[in-house]
Amino acid sequence: MMKKVRKDELIVPVTFIVFSILCFFLSGISFMFLAEQVALRFIRNIILVLALIFPIMAGMGLNFAVVIGTMITQASFIIVLNFNLTGGRGAALVLAVSLVAAAGVGCVIGRLLNKVRGREMVTSIVVGFLANYIYQLIFVAGFGTVIHVFNKKLVLSTGIGVKNMVDLKTFKEVFDNLGVFRIGEAKISMLLLAMIIVCGFFVFYLMRTPLGQKIRAVGMSEGKSANIGIDTDRIRVIVIVLSTVLAALGQFVYLQNIGSLNVYTEHLDTEKFACAALLAGGASIRKAGVKNAFIGVVLLHTLFVLSPLAGRNAFANASLGEYFRSFVAYGIIAFALVVNLRLERKGE
Amino acid sequence: MGEYVLEVRNLEKYYGQNKVLDKVSLSVRKGEICGLIGANGSGKSTLMNILFGNSIIAGTGGYSGDVVFEGEKVQISTTTEAIGRGIGMIYQEFMLIPEMTVAENIKLTRENTKRIFGRALGSELSYVDWKKDSEDAAAVLEQLGFQIDNSYLVKNISVNAKQFVEIAREVNKQDLKLLLLDEPTAVLNDEDAGKLMKVLKELAKKGTSIIFCSHRLHEICEVCDHVTVLRDGKAVSDYGREELDMRALARDMIGYDVTAVKKERRNQEKKAVLSFRDFSVYMPGEFLDRLNLEVYEGEILGLTSLSGHGKLAAGYGVMGQFPVMGEFLYGGASMDVKNVRKTIEHGIFLLPDDRKNMGLLLEHSVRDNIVFSGFYGRNLFQKKAGYIFSVKDKKEIERYVKEQIEKLDIKCGSPDQKVKELSGGNQQKVCIARAVLVAPKVLFVMEPTRGVDIGAKEKILDMLVQINREQGTTIVVASSELEELKRISDRIAVFCEGRLSQILPPDASDEEFAFAFTGEEGEDGQ
Repeated sequence: MMKKVRKDELIVPVTFIVFSILCFFLSGISFMFLAEQVALRFIRNIILVLALIFPIMAGMGLNFAVVIGTMITQASFIIVLNFNLTGGRGAALVLAVSLVAAAGVGCVIGRLLNKVRGREMVTSIVVGFLANYIYQLIFVAGFGTVIHVFNKKLVLSTGIGVKNMVDLKTFKEVFDNLGVFRIGEAKISMLLLAMIIVCGFFVFYLMRTPLGQKIRAVGMSEGKSANIGIDTDRIRVIVIVLSTVLAALGQFVYLQNIGSLNVYTEHLDTEKFACAALLAGGASIRKAGVKNAFIGVVLLHTLFVLSPLAGRNAFANASLGEYFRSFVAYGIIAFALVVNLRLERKGE
Repeated sequence: MGEYVLEVRNLEKYYGQNKVLDKVSLSVRKGEICGLIGANGSGKSTLMNILFGNSIIAGTGGYSGDVVFEGEKVQISTTTEAIGRGIGMIYQEFMLIPEMTVAENIKLTRENTKRIFGRALGSELSYVDWKKDSEDAAAVLEQLGFQIDNSYLVKNISVNAKQFVEIAREVNKQDLKLLLLDEPTAVLNDEDAGKLMKVLKELAKKGTSIIFCSHRLHEICEVCDHVTVLRDGKAVSDYGREELDMRALARDMIGYDVTAVKKERRNQEKKAVLSFRDFSVYMPGEFLDRLNLEVYEGEILGLTSLSGHGKLAAGYGVMGQFPVMGEFLYGGASMDVKNVRKTIEHGIFLLPDDRKNMGLLLEHSVRDNIVFSGFYGRNLFQKKAGYIFSVKDKKEIERYVKEQIEKLDIKCGSPDQKVKELSGGNQQKVCIARAVLVAPKVLFVMEPTRGVDIGAKEKILDMLVQINREQGTTIVVASSELEELKRISDRIAVFCEGRLSQILPPDASDEEFAFAFTGEEGEDGQ
């Protein structure tokens, strides 16, 4: 029994490694270039993936609502820029505003998910969609009408609606000036790297505290946990708050590293790719750890970097690789869900 | 004796229309062991759930009456609150997290922590001290006199061990003032039950008050300072330590003299109508392992076991609901269980325990439900319209349904009422009416009285006996209610861990049944 489960856990990562090796030879790029690209994407993505771990351990499945955390950070950037706050002070303010707002919103989402026990995943997807349209409404129609514009550079020439692209260089420079870490051409701020390490350690550590034990207990058997005296509703809200806050932090690191913000599209699909990464690392929708997140992000992005190039070389068609990315992301989510159902049935 | 730790006054509780507790009063002093006995459905568990703040109570409309804990009138609405007040509970079905180790389960919610970051993070966010937890767990298990490696996952340990882990968890609580135990010895053998009795006495000596529910009367007599007997939701009597008498307790519990239950033995021809040969059923949670059993024509055979030990599997296996191995003979001829239609045509019929999902068309009327199997399965109530089409004979159906409703006392507004609106007991009666109509040769009944009120219970049991006597139907009843099986069955087969452990006559003693339940017979010691 134990051995079987382990094999199921390994199927996805092994498939990824095999595909990656195949694509590496087809693409014909240097290893250095690959390492540089993967490192960059790793930095940008890892915290968002870590944000998914708590809800899984609490038995709530993949929390697709992490996308809301990313939107909150983007909104914070725009709002802070609107008040013409730049540099270190601005960055700190963005961070503070986004984390506090994420905690508040996470609390609301957590309560909502408590009302739809057993259907958390679907609900989180729909809530994510809803939040997306509210976000777009605010920045397309709200800016310049309801919200006063202090920073004219942000809005379109009509005076209503935020531009597609917002420059965040003023914040990026602050971080880059505090020391960078180079892999090939890629520059990675030391401070961001430190934040990532702290987040990884935080998740790892928290699962080994009394709170973590309660989260695990709730995830394994909610009914029994309630009878042992664990306030399951509270634990589930805490978990979603942590998840949303981590997601907001993740998007902060991501945007800091890129240095510009695609207001209306930057957050799209991030949650799905984050889920795919975690599952690629061998997690299931019942069990996940920091290890899965780190391995998964590396594996998924290796394949993502290589597949368009491999597609161009093998089929003389680069766009094939683009389709391949989406296919891989949704494919492994679907696969993980099926494997999970099977394991659950076996476990009964 | 000290002051009262717990006083319960005039407690009343309804589940829907069903009164499960009726003006129950009870008081427990500090350091006292209070016995609570009663047949299944007498309200013991409901009382425990109220005291422990189980969410099921608030979810079904709360209760009325007073609960006074340590001199303060309380309304405990969550288990967290109950535990905070120093109340612990040991459940009949274990509240252990299967994927965690023994030590983790014992220390869950009360972990020792290392303060790596000093006091800044508080105890919730400090690192768990696994080593200290493990030592604590070992110490408390030692205190209970039970030995097990506490790094095992709970899902891999025996039922016996699970019970001890559960007890260890409660005993480990430092500020335990009141401990509730719901049938803790049901799964223990005599030796382990003895250990538990000792632990309870020690706990009481240290000042913890205990409410102890059990079926085993001799245990109650052994440890309890006073005993309250519940019957049909009422506290019918209360005995002090000196007045305890097993016979009196048993009589109060059941409501009539125990000897009256014995029904006359029938001399039957032992002609096998069904035979199971190495019959295994892979039903999740109710695995049946190589059953060899003959069911005699015209008898009522009871099947029983603790939940999850295989009593339900035989019936579902015969009806092709789960993968099976081995052979199943009907009247000497081997049957293919996968061909369910054929099985039904041969006159084998099953009333499932999951009435709502498997046994009834919830959205349909009482009438449709009663005639459904007869109409479609047996082509009853059909007449030719214009010599070509078979149509329902409405008049005949109406007459039959009316008759059944009267006979079984099905409480419904009209035959048009939807079945989902009926109470559990009445739904079960509808199922039985349906079975009567097809007049099966062999009838499997699964948990016929589960979730059914006391009045309906009698009616249902009566009806089963009546079908058996009048139509000559062979009935196989799978039920966890041993008392009921004893009353209606000719023989009772007891299962343990999927194996047939013994076939006992209904007048066998409680000890014999207890042994059979735990599979003691035929296994050495362990």
